[in-house]
Amino acid sequence: MKLELGNIFIHDIQFDDLSRVENGVLYINEEELREHLLEDENISSVSFDIAKPGESVRIMPVKDVIEPRVKVEGRGGVFPGVISKVDTVGSGRTNVLKGAAVVTTGTIVGFQEGIIDMSGPGADYTPFSKLNNLVVICEPVEGLKQHAHEKAVRFAGLKAAAYLGRLAKDLEADEVESFETPSLIESFRQYPDLPRVAYVQMLQTQGLLHDTYVYGVDMKQSITTMLYPTELMDGAIISGNCVSACDKNTTYHHLNNPVIRDLYARHGKELNFVGMIITNENVYLADKERSSDWSAKLAEFLGVDGVIISQEGFGNPDTDLIMNCKKIEAKGIKTVIITDEYAGRDGASQSLADADISANAVVTGGNANMVVNLPPMEKVIGHVKLADTIAGGFDGSLQPDGSIVVELQAITGATNELGFNRLSAR
Amino acid sequence: MCTVVPISLTVGANRIVPTVAIPHPLGNPALPLEEEQEIRRKLLDKALKALTTEVSEQTVFE
Repeated sequence: MKLELGNIFIHDIQFDDLSRVENGVLYINEEELREHLLEDENISSVSFDIAKPGESVRIMPVKDVIEPRVKVEGRGGVFPGVISKVDTVGSGRTNVLKGAAVVTTGTIVGFQEGIIDMSGPGADYTPFSKLNNLVVICEPVEGLKQHAHEKAVRFAGLKAAAYLGRLAKDLEADEVESFETPSLIESFRQYPDLPRVAYVQMLQTQGLLHDTYVYGVDMKQSITTMLYPTELMDGAIISGNCVSACDKNTTYHHLNNPVIRDLYARHGKELNFVGMIITNENVYLADKERSSDWSAKLAEFLGVDGVIISQEGFGNPDTDLIMNCKKIEAKGIKTVIITDEYAGRDGASQSLADADISANAVVTGGNANMVVNLPPMEKVIGHVKLADTIAGGFDGSLQPDGSIVVELQAITGATNELGFNRLSAR
Repeated sequence: MCTVVPISLTVGANRIVPTVAIPHPLGNPALPLEEEQEIRRKLLDKALKALTTEVSEQTVFE
């Protein structure tokens, strides 16, 4: 399966009478987009705002971040089984508005998650401070139940991203990237001497605001399975989770998964990237055992020498991570795990809730308990009073001057376990 | 009493009684109250039995 990404670089975003992309500027007709989103009868009102890099703006609580894309050639449409009809995506050509994003915000249940600061020290911790963001704020109709509310907001973000993506359908791309995964047999023939490597991506699947969808399927109801990596680039996997936002994968992360990108960059040179396995992180022990059994079985079936495993979240998913690691290692396959740490504010506590001797190659996204002080911003999009109830916040975390003292876990993408962040150590 | 037995084993617990699920270790909101109470009673009995059982190594009371 082969996919080309046509990147169209966006360096500014503005409201205007006509939605279009012109000279790297994304213009949006608010009214037209609002009407489109209000077609959902569960939404009573929609408002928009714009947040650009360097501005004194704080967005919170962030639900999802989505990159606008559109299918130009090949089967299906973006976000298959959700926004587009079910059809196998990941081949042909997809155009991308690179540098732009849709950010959804809104209050749904008790714990409210995710801060994006567009400037100041907080901006360094989130990749989304570097983007031109259209913020979508949806209010539900009265009496809407939490699950339906979450779904309405999730769909509104994806619809807005698809709407913006469509503006790129007939545009000439500034840059074209190409990604290809041949059949297993063909890749073995092409690179008989290179080490064969697969990617195991763990997906958060623990209930409301902790779910992930694959082709529209709630992943907690699926057993471990396989995808072509290019399917993710067309939105086969979307996020329905944002709690403890530092290490949750937004839809933007899935579209731009850096593990996949880096494996493709080395494919045919240092290694043979044969494909990927997706698995879940459920709340029943039997599910954890079954899903990790399947990860190991599929890795063995693929005949790989090595596997990279990325986790999503922390706490009991640490057990899923360790199960995947030790069961795959037990098949004689080397593993590297990518995780993050909850090692206490001083970093001195045990980093993961579970451990095993076979987890001897670990990449960390950083310590989510580290406390940061986010100075006040001139403008807040969303609900700043929620700082006290977000994970990583604590009593008094919203200061009288508007600054926020929080653990890194409140910042969207700060310790991302795909490595889509900039934390590093020397 | 816990759902994720491997973590209990990792942290060195001596007597481990597996429970239902992480969000609801001692019940199941999908069941009617009487059936849920039945589950809870059985788990509690098992836990009390575990407490009064001599162990010489980490033991999971299935």
